[in-house]
Amino acid sequence: MHFARPIMWNVPAWAELTLYVMIPLVMIALVAGVVWRIRKWFVGQPEAGAPSIRQQLWSALRPPRLAEVLATSLFQSRLARDRFAIVMHQAIFWGMVFLFIGTALATIDQDFTNLLLDWQLLSGNFYRLFEFTLDVFGVVLIAGVLMAAYRRVVQRPARLQPRRRGISLWDSFPLLTSLFLIAVTGFLVEGLRLAEGLKIEASVAAAPADWAARRTVLEQVGFGHRLHMGPERQEAEWSRVADGGAVFPAAMAAPVGYGLAQVLAPLSVESVRSLHQVLWWLHALLAFGLIVSIPFTKAFHLVASPANLLLHVPGPPGRLPVTSEAGVRTVRDFTWRQLLQVDACTWCGKCQEVCPGFNTGFPLSPRDLVQAIGSQLLRTRPRGNGETPSLHAALIPPAELWSCCACRACEDICPVHVEHPRLIIDLRRHLIDQGEVDEGVQDALMNFQRYGNSFGQSARKRPEWTKTLDFSLPDARKQAVEYLWFVGDYASYDQRAQAVTRSIARVLHQAGVDVGLLMDKEQNAGNDVRRLGEEGLFSLLREKNTQALAGVKFRKVLTTDPHTYNTLKNEYGASPAQSQTSPDASDKAAAEEAADTNVLEGKPVLHYTELLDELICQGTLTIPRSLQIKVTYHDPCYLGRFNGVYDAPRRILRALGAELVEMPRHRASSFCCGAGGGRLWMKDTPGIAERPAENRVREALALPGVQCLVVACPKDLVMFQDAIKTVGEEARLRVVDIGELVWEALAVPEAALT
Amino acid sequence: MNIAVVLRQVPDLVETLDIDRTGTALDWDTASWIVNECDDHALEQALLLKEAGGGSVTVVALDAGDVDNTLYTAAAKGADRILKIPLDDPTPPAPRAAAALLAQAIRTLDAELVLVGVQAHNELDGVLPPLLAAGLERPYVGVIRGVQPGAEPGTVTACKEFPGAVMARMQVRLPAVLGILGAEQPPRYVPVSRIRAAMKATQFEEPEVTVPARDARVTVRRLYAPASAARAEILSGSVSDVAARLVTILAERGILK
Repeated sequence: MHFARPIMWNVPAWAELTLYVMIPLVMIALVAGVVWRIRKWFVGQPEAGAPSIRQQLWSALRPPRLAEVLATSLFQSRLARDRFAIVMHQAIFWGMVFLFIGTALATIDQDFTNLLLDWQLLSGNFYRLFEFTLDVFGVVLIAGVLMAAYRRVVQRPARLQPRRRGISLWDSFPLLTSLFLIAVTGFLVEGLRLAEGLKIEASVAAAPADWAARRTVLEQVGFGHRLHMGPERQEAEWSRVADGGAVFPAAMAAPVGYGLAQVLAPLSVESVRSLHQVLWWLHALLAFGLIVSIPFTKAFHLVASPANLLLHVPGPPGRLPVTSEAGVRTVRDFTWRQLLQVDACTWCGKCQEVCPGFNTGFPLSPRDLVQAIGSQLLRTRPRGNGETPSLHAALIPPAELWSCCACRACEDICPVHVEHPRLIIDLRRHLIDQGEVDEGVQDALMNFQRYGNSFGQSARKRPEWTKTLDFSLPDARKQAVEYLWFVGDYASYDQRAQAVTRSIARVLHQAGVDVGLLMDKEQNAGNDVRRLGEEGLFSLLREKNTQALAGVKFRKVLTTDPHTYNTLKNEYGASPAQSQTSPDASDKAAAEEAADTNVLEGKPVLHYTELLDELICQGTLTIPRSLQIKVTYHDPCYLGRFNGVYDAPRRILRALGAELVEMPRHRASSFCCGAGGGRLWMKDTPGIAERPAENRVREALALPGVQCLVVACPKDLVMFQDAIKTVGEEARLRVVDIGELVWEALAVPEAALT
Repeated sequence: MNIAVVLRQVPDLVETLDIDRTGTALDWDTASWIVNECDDHALEQALLLKEAGGGSVTVVALDAGDVDNTLYTAAAKGADRILKIPLDDPTPPAPRAAAALLAQAIRTLDAELVLVGVQAHNELDGVLPPLLAAGLERPYVGVIRGVQPGAEPGTVTACKEFPGAVMARMQVRLPAVLGILGAEQPPRYVPVSRIRAAMKATQFEEPEVTVPARDARVTVRRLYAPASAARAEILSGSVSDVAARLVTILAERGILK
């Protein structure tokens, strides 16, 4: 028995005509709105050195990148750390996708195959599958929306609370409400239609078992007017229903619609028809309203988020692009790609939830900052008429920018690849350009300019930590070495960190590693100077280090400080094009010269934990005894999140016989100590709840039986040792560097440890 | 208001200071130069006055002690003109000769106000500012912490610090020379990119001056590092006990008789 989807059932001709007039208008409004928003992205600057849109689209068609784009956009894989969120979002997304596909199939069915071919795509078993699928995904959509509502109304996490600053875009409620109503009205329309079908079937069954009588009954209920099909197919339908066939044979395949039909069947046929028409209009108008509102509401992330995931430049997270050394004053100073990111933000607040600044009471919310830029972008005309207002001061206060630790937790967790630290550092560059800096930062920057270190110490004192060693470390400028040890400022000058540096030196010496130093010619590598926004000073430090390295013979670079590791590994070898320096950046020639004489080309850069792990795995370094301690390990931001070194330190701890208990926030979720991005040099912010380092040591203290908080960064050592004193728990938890533990296992008598 | 600012280079005390073979001077092969801190404040104060009331800032310096970087930094901060007085010797002359040279250069300027750091750690008794004022035949007020445009035209309001943190606000009729201890705010930070831009864009002017003979009235006979010793004694107890002990110590040292 052949049957097909009824077309425009119970929809009067005027309504159908109105619908066809509205559809193109809605589409025009949608396209115009989307173009209006997209044009705003291009008020931004070009990104010199970055791949063009065409190149990126082309690369997105190739398997590895294609898989990534599909995973992040269609399956929202970057939400995976939050199971509730990924289930909720997938439900809403795939619910809408299938309902959209259903609507598109229905359109093809009624406006193309039926009109042109007098044949329906949605017929027979395919129609049954269509009905079933749409019902299932309608339920999935409603479930997703209810989950979202539960999270917002019942759970109410801080990250979804109202924003500090006003923004002209609506929040999630209108979007979620309209999605919910579209799904519910869709089901009711279906239920009412099926209910009428049941009534017709009952009328036919109640009539005498006479074909003519039954046909009369069908005529009385206006059955013929409801069949938009050619005469032959229409005749077949008359016969089928008059013979006792179902008006909607696929009704049983739509469990929700059929169930609702049973509930609605007691209504009078007039009520069913009127209600059906009213809800049909409501459903259509809600859908049109949603479509038209896309460019003006949160729903615009349907366009901007996939676009950003598609056009995201995959590259080392540790390499910071530079568009202009003078930084960003207005939205027009950002690059177009950054403005796309701002629009891609879905306001989910995950960045805020993991931000060490926000979590300890600093005046910073990465979510609010992105939205503040977004609100300014909304008010910006693509063709500049008049002055574009500054983003600084009232909209984004300097205190907010200086609160950032540049730890990348926000960027790492962002489901749509917004690069918050890059936005913040570009804004900081403007403050630096205007000389608006924190007093502590100013002192540090002056010291870097003059002495090449933040301590304001003489360069000649840099290798003084080696004096108490009972062996000498070679001067790499005078003899060829396998490893050039770029020690770093804290490891060289800070008294507490010096002890760790000496332990690492002793371990290397015992393992017979051929390692040498740059002595007083080493200067700070500039990682945090760059992230403070002082790009000119970073270039100066890079030039000086490059010059110092020029005559040195070595095969690999060894680093103590993860910050140094990051910049040497990712930002010293980068050519001007790679680091996206614009032609107007000052001293381009010097940068090019530095790149031409790239002394780190082809030289692996290792963190000492990587080298120690390698030595232990190769058997070059044998750990003679087990330390038998219970420890937890803090992943330094610039080692873990920036460069993916998570396993080497853990393998070392296992080799030492330490029992590792992970903190709740570990590996990529590690919580910054608060020293990054130049925060180390800033004065304490008044009014904060606690320092990030205190927050972190409390996390470690909450682990039962853990004796040591193990670190792999000299700055972490200093920050956590201070924090453990502040919280008054020095006796309970020892802050120790992994290099010290290795040396203890190698050399310190067991009795001395107990 | 047109302001002249004197910038001097002094040895950087962060570096270890070595004494050369003659035993009468620092070893300049190992020492390095840095701008005198009070002069840096004088420049900041001049820039603040210019920003408040317009005019120009001219920096005047002797070509001694690797002064170029300091001058480029001053230009990057906002100094309008840079006068670098040529010398035949790269080490700075003694204060009297320096003051004479600076006065000659400043006389060529139409500067109503001259700001100079009240002291420099390598000068005896902070004599350069008053000597400069004498050379320019202008009034001098020293130990100034902050200068603001005056209520009347042709004046400035200067805050002078006295011992015991007593401050006096005084109206100074121009032209005058002020010895600056501190500006109203710490010297501003200037990013390296701006200094590098200034290096390309700034031309130093070299005024014609008559170089006076080196001042021979002060002769260094011996330069030496302070000898460390352990002589501190912490006095405790009641006021009368401490006073009695002090009298005893002074008598023991032969100061009280």
